[in-house]
Amino acid sequence: MIIALWIAIGLLAVSVVVGLVAIARAVDGASRAVVGDLVFFCCVGFLALIGLFTHSAVSVDAALLASLLGILATFALARILTRGRR
Amino acid sequence: MQTLLSILVSVFAVGGALCVLISAVAMLRAPDALTRINALSPATGLGLPLIVTAAYLYQLYAGSFDWVHLVQYVITVFALVVVSSIGSNALARAAYLSGAKPDASTDPQDLAR
Repeated sequence: MIIALWIAIGLLAVSVVVGLVAIARAVDGASRAVVGDLVFFCCVGFLALIGLFTHSAVSVDAALLASLLGILATFALARILTRGRR
Repeated sequence: MQTLLSILVSVFAVGGALCVLISAVAMLRAPDALTRINALSPATGLGLPLIVTAAYLYQLYAGSFDWVHLVQYVITVFALVVVSSIGSNALARAAYLSGAKPDASTDPQDLAR
């Protein structure tokens, strides 16, 4: 089971790298905002998985707060894209 | 019971990470921004809930059943599925308003007319 968790962490790391390549190749700001959001959710996945190794109950709490409040970053990026207009 | 939980944790964790990887690769190959915003949904709709399910099942495996963890888990999955969809919707609207041209082969272009 520990090996499976390490495989999952490896897959998340690969998806972060693929996301960074997608950001480097992105043309417009919207694509960069979306891939930034994907990388954010990858880090939420990292948090949840790495929290398991230390047997700390904080991992589910952190995932809860990140998914509830992390969307503010997406709304901020959306507002930046439209240069402050609604 | 313990072996079943450990198998479930392994399957859910690797499955969730695969879904996130699939949406990352889909974003690399997407032609325009709106398709990339659409490609985010496998990660937030299925990938991360599976990973959080693996985390919750591991807590059952390692510790004991606890109502507080169950409520946190349900709220987390609800937030991951619903709240992130609202965020992606707002981002898609902002992307279109900010002039990110959709792919030429997008058939219904009602907004453009």
